[in-house]
This record gives sequence, structure tokens and C-alpha cells, in this order.
Amino acid sequence: MRVKQLLFTRMEVYLVILAALMPLWLNSVSFHHVMTIAGLYAMGALGLSVFMGFAGQISIGHSAFVGLGAYTTAILAVKTPLPTMACLAASAVVPGLTAWIMGRPILKLREYFLALATIGLVQIFQVLTTELDWLTGGVEGLYNLPWLSVFGLSFDRPLEQVYLVWALVYLAFLFSRNLCSSAYGRAFRIVAASEDTARTLGISPESMKTRAFVFSAVTAGLAGGLYACVFGSVSPQAFGLDMSVMLVLMVIVGGMGSLPGTLAGSLLITWLATWLSGYQQYSLIVYGIILIMLLVFFPEGIFRGIGARWVDLVRTYADQDWRKELRR
Amino acid sequence: MTAEILLQLGLSGLTSGATYGLIALGFITIYRATNILNLAQGDFVMLGGMLTVLGMQRYGIPYAASAAGAVLCTGLVGVAAERLVIHPIRNKPLLISIMATIGISMSLSGAALLLFGTSPRSLPPLLPFGGFELPGGVRVSAQTLTVLAACGVLLLSFRLFSKRTWLGKAMEAAATDRLGADLVGISRSNSRMMAFGLSAAMGAAAGVLITPLYFMQYNAGGLLGLKGFAAAVIGGWGSYLGAVLGGLVLGVLESLGLAFIPAGYKDGLAFVALLAILAFRSKGLLGSRALQEARK
Repeated sequence: MRVKQLLFTRMEVYLVILAALMPLWLNSVSFHHVMTIAGLYAMGALGLSVFMGFAGQISIGHSAFVGLGAYTTAILAVKTPLPTMACLAASAVVPGLTAWIMGRPILKLREYFLALATIGLVQIFQVLTTELDWLTGGVEGLYNLPWLSVFGLSFDRPLEQVYLVWALVYLAFLFSRNLCSSAYGRAFRIVAASEDTARTLGISPESMKTRAFVFSAVTAGLAGGLYACVFGSVSPQAFGLDMSVMLVLMVIVGGMGSLPGTLAGSLLITWLATWLSGYQQYSLIVYGIILIMLLVFFPEGIFRGIGARWVDLVRTYADQDWRKELRR
Repeated sequence: MTAEILLQLGLSGLTSGATYGLIALGFITIYRATNILNLAQGDFVMLGGMLTVLGMQRYGIPYAASAAGAVLCTGLVGVAAERLVIHPIRNKPLLISIMATIGISMSLSGAALLLFGTSPRSLPPLLPFGGFELPGGVRVSAQTLTVLAACGVLLLSFRLFSKRTWLGKAMEAAATDRLGADLVGISRSNSRMMAFGLSAAMGAAAGVLITPLYFMQYNAGGLLGLKGFAAAVIGGWGSYLGAVLGGLVLGVLESLGLAFIPAGYKDGLAFVALLAILAFRSKGLLGSRALQEARK
């Protein structure tokens, strides 16, 4: 008998309705713009959260897949007469295929070497996009891309873009959540815990790791495709290590192995980055210090960290003998 | 494509290779004492070069004193980074420590941005004479020789330090066998702190050596550090000799690559070589236990 998969909880429906009203209620272009960026990051971070939080791997290279998706959409939209929807769909396919080909050799690595290999992907991607200028437009990148249009409905205003991006993010979220509570999700967690155990149970760690990698590359690529549709331009600098670090930070801040946490983490970090970008030369050092503080004080994620402290606090004061504890 | 050009390219490759080797030595020093990968190593290099420039140009300190001061200051920065950042997260998962060193790297380049601005800086050569010409018309600059010599000297002294001195042996023991180190009374915390100070100072020395050859900028550390790490892996992760050898191989590869492919691809070559090494000869050129274990 199949286990029935959880689709929504009642609470979630209320929250989604409230969230869907947010862009209409806070009706300003800058708010819509930042929320769109947050949505793009959330999309990329979701797959990464499955790859790192559930399958237990490390990747500081997912900006390469975001970039690959963005460039796929941009190149197809500029150089071919394909409809924009097909260009967007291709942004999920190409990074997925790349991840599938690169997955086996790279995922044999562990720890630092995996991190380094994924960083290497970003550097190679940067060099290729800068140098293949007949295809990618070089340093300037590609611009004046057409807006995404679905059956004549064109997504050219920030308000529509917010809904487009977040609707897709929510779909990706539902998919990842079901994936993680399915047999695959359990297999991922076993691989993360011990590859030998996984083998004894008849789970191939290589194949599971590759699948998680491909899934994360697909969502990252889709995020990139949306990036190209929403901003109308792509350039190599946008997809550097900074973006990778930000994606990883979102997963860590949200709490490893928590998908709603990842969404919240991407909102938090995007707002932080937007707020910091106003301070020009101070933004880099402040961002670095905040990053360190988050890791030092909330290594389990900010929500879990604050939650644990709150529980401690409540427990201390709710305890009958707390005065005694204090006196001691 | 004449032989002289290839020879000249090879020589400049050896120079940049020696600088990668110097940076890689810093990575290995920290790794061997703490099992931590410090991605901020490149920024220690940048800091060494930039502080020397600052000392000379803003405060008029003589070259040698300024360089020594920069090395000392960067060493202290390394110690501070260890105490403030690495020490509190010593028992946390690997990913946290990697991200924390990225955070250190960002903060250091951010600080350099505030201190020195965005303009690239350079230094005069360390030795007063300009170099000489080999019979084939190949020019050897004095700075090239200095870098190569420094690389050799530092390699030798690090090998001796880790093999022949009590302190070096203790630092390595602390990473090899934690429980064993605790039992014989080696302080792991202190050895971690010393390793960070040492490798930061070492990175700063590399920075002083390479600033006369290339321009140094507040954000130069990232790529330098990554290439140094790549060099250490290519040579065989974990050994000092492998680090320097990997650096030299990488430098010559990049430089000879210039003769055959467009210059823009140069920065990608290191990582292609790295991925190839990781995929096909996972233990690096010289062989490394750590690397093979990482790829089971």
C-alpha cells in the first residue's frame, strides 16, 4: 500500500493566502523588486538545501548552475525564435544534464575537496562566459532580453514578477518537501549519515548523491532562467562565488535539513544584502562580520538557535525552583 | 613560436608557480596542525603586500622594516582570527568552518578596501640590481630569483620545523590524533592558534615577495588563495614538498598555456587541471593519504 503523501496543512493554506496578499498590501516597486530577488535565491537555495541538508554534501558552486540556467535562457531567447516559455524550460534542462555528467567524478570527493571542486566549477564557468563572447556577449553579457510571456500574458511588471517567481518557488518547495519525505528523502539521509550503511541497505550512495545533485542543479538552473526573464540581462559577474556563498549561507541560517527554514533564510539574507548594498565600501566588511557572527553564534541556524534559547529561558523561569537555581 | 619565447614563458611560469607554492605552503601549515582548510589564506597574502605598501608610502618606513612589520601584523591578525572565529566553532561541522573562513576572507578584504581603497598597488623589487640576461636572450629578473630562493628556503625550514623540532611535531600530533595529543599534554587549542599565526605570517611573506611582480589589490586574495589551494591539491595534499611542486607545475602550465590558448582562459586552467587531477589521479602528483581517503 502506498503511503499517502502530505500535501498541505491547514495552517499552511492560511499562511499562503496571507503571503499572496502581501505584494498587493505593501504595494511599492522596490518591495516587489527585493521580494523577486529573494524568490530567485529561495529557488536556488531549495535545491541546495536538499543537497546539503538532506544528502549531506557540500557545494559552494551552485552559482555556476544558476548562471548556466540564466545564460541558457538568455542565449535561446536572443539567438533563436523559440517562445520564452521554452527558453525558461531549457534553463532547467541544461544545468540538470551538466550536473548529471559532472556528478559522478565530482561527488566521489568529500569534505574540502568537494568544496574546492565545486568552487572550481564556478571559476571555470566565469572564465567560459567571459571568453566565449560570440555566444555569451563577454564581460558585458546579454541584455534586452524579451519578457517571459505565457499565452500572451507578459510578465513585465514587478508585481507580476513577484507572483510568477514565488508561485514557482512554492511549487518547488512542495516538490522538495514531498521528495524529502519520500523513499528518496530517507535514502538521502541514510547516505548522509553513512555511505556504508546505505550500501548494506541496498542503496547506492553514488546514484543517490548524483540524483540530489541533479535536483539541486535543476532548481538552481530554473532560478537562473527566472533571473534572465525578470532582469532582462545576464553578465558573468552576477554569478560569482559571492552568490554561491550567499546560497550556502541561506541554507545554514535557515537550519540544515529544514526546507521552510531555507525559505525564511533566503528572505532574511536577501533583505540583509539589500540593506547593506546601500553602504558601498562598508558593505563588504560588515557582511563578512555578520556572516561570521551568524556562524559563531547560530551554527545550527538562526531560527533553531533562537528557538533553543527561548526554550531555555522559558524553562528557567517556568521552573518552580528557578529562584533556587539562581541563588545557587 | 620560438624556443626563446617558450623558455621565457617557462621562466615566468616558474616565478608565478613559486608564488602559488608559497601560498600553498600556508594552506598546508594550517591543515597539518588543525585539519582546517583556511580559505582566507589568500587574504593574508594580500594583507602582507598591502601593509608593506602602506608602511612605506604613508609612514615612510624603510622597505625591510615595513615588510617585517607587515609580516608581524598579519601574523597577529591570523592569531586574532583563530581566537575570535575558529576557536568558538572548533567542534562544529566542516561546512561551518569552511564558511567561517570565507567570512574571515570577506572581512579582511573589506578592511583592506577601507584602508587602501580600490586602486592596485605595487612595490619596488626587493633587491637593488635588475637581473641579467641568459645566453639565449632570456631575461632573468632579480625578483624571480628572490621568489624562487625564498620558496626553497621556506620549504626547507617548514620541513625541518615539522620533522625536527618539538614544537612542530607537537603541532602535527595535535591534528593527527586528538585523543593522543590530549593524553600526552599537547594543547590543541594553542597549537591551532600557533598554526594560524604562523601560516598568516607565511602568507604575508609571500605577499611581500609577489607584490613587486604583480599588482596587489584589496580583492586579489580570493583568486590567489584558490590557486594556492589548487596547487596544494595538484601536488599532493598534505605535504610541503607537494605544495611547492604543485605550485611550480601549475605556474608553468598556466604560463605555457598562454602560448597556445587565448590569455583570458588562463584563470580557468588551474581549475581544469584541478578537476582532472581530482578525477583521474586523486592522490595528487606526489601521492597523499588525505586525498585518497577523501575520495573513497
